[in-house]
Amino acid sequence: MIQNKLSFHQSSVSLEIIGLPDYSNNENKDQISIISQWKLTIIDKPLIEGKIEHLGPIMDAFYIYSNLLISNEMPIYESKLIDIKTDNLKIHNIVLKSSKPNVKPLTLKIGNALLSDIINCFDQLNESSKVRKIETGVSKNFPKKVIFCFNNKVKFFNFIIPPFIAIFSLILFSSTFIYFYNPVEDKEKNILINPN
Amino acid sequence: MHSLYAISKRLNLNEVLPNKVTIWKLRNNNPLRKSYVNNNIKLEEFDALIKITVELSRYLYPYIREILQSKEDLEKNLVIWNDFNNRFIELIKDRFNIDSMRVKKLLNHTENDEFIIKSLLTLSLCISNQGSQKLKNFLFDF
Repeated sequence: MIQNKLSFHQSSVSLEIIGLPDYSNNENKDQISIISQWKLTIIDKPLIEGKIEHLGPIMDAFYIYSNLLISNEMPIYESKLIDIKTDNLKIHNIVLKSSKPNVKPLTLKIGNALLSDIINCFDQLNESSKVRKIETGVSKNFPKKVIFCFNNKVKFFNFIIPPFIAIFSLILFSSTFIYFYNPVEDKEKNILINPN
Repeated sequence: MHSLYAISKRLNLNEVLPNKVTIWKLRNNNPLRKSYVNNNIKLEEFDALIKITVELSRYLYPYIREILQSKEDLEKNLVIWNDFNNRFIELIKDRFNIDSMRVKKLLNHTENDEFIIKSLLTLSLCISNQGSQKLKNFLFDF
């Protein structure tokens, strides 16, 4: 059976998706719902290819890393499949780890221009109506390094909570004095002070 | 100003941005500008500015990419990065309040690199159809 091919291009990068339509869902001939292979071609760099189960985590890695790059000073992404880090915000070191045994990791160095080309290719794939949406686990499986970044937001709550605890504990503390306060005695005292 | 207005017309934003004066007034909301005026920006005006920025980024993507690339290999492409940086500084000096500490940082050749790279990268990542939403997310996270 002839497989369908769809390509997404952005300057020096192209992403090719190979697969078949799901005929059981009466899909069009040019649709790709069963992805068998994908290839990421970057000019002057080795070809990156893999199975469908690798594409989601790799897309996640690039999306999370680019978000960290814009919001953080020194972003790092580490996972079982891919590591991305930068030395100076200009060059990004990518280490792709093969799932096959005895295969050395592939190391690539790309700049910001290629990084944005890659992400724009992934955006085109996500927005394409001809390819089944790639399942990503961005919200579910954040690597440990990314979780540290979210911890920074937790610091905001750490900043707010102590004054609140202080105010509420003061209220709680002062409310205990209500037991010692006798309004009748207080009224008598007032009469003694102001006999008129 | 003219190009911003032309893009707003092309994107059918006439109701929100009916003329150049509206855009000029919105531009003056930037507290770093010399002619800063504190007007409240409406949500639809904010959305319109985002749409215009994304459309401009799409159009200018090859140039943005070239400038980013020139910073990666300074020995080869020193001219492009320096030209852009000099023009950026010229515009800042011309239009921004140079007494402000934040503006002074933008004017410093050694300190403004990171700001320029991150700004260009943000624009280059927002050229897709969902670019407006992406740019909003980046701005809210800034």
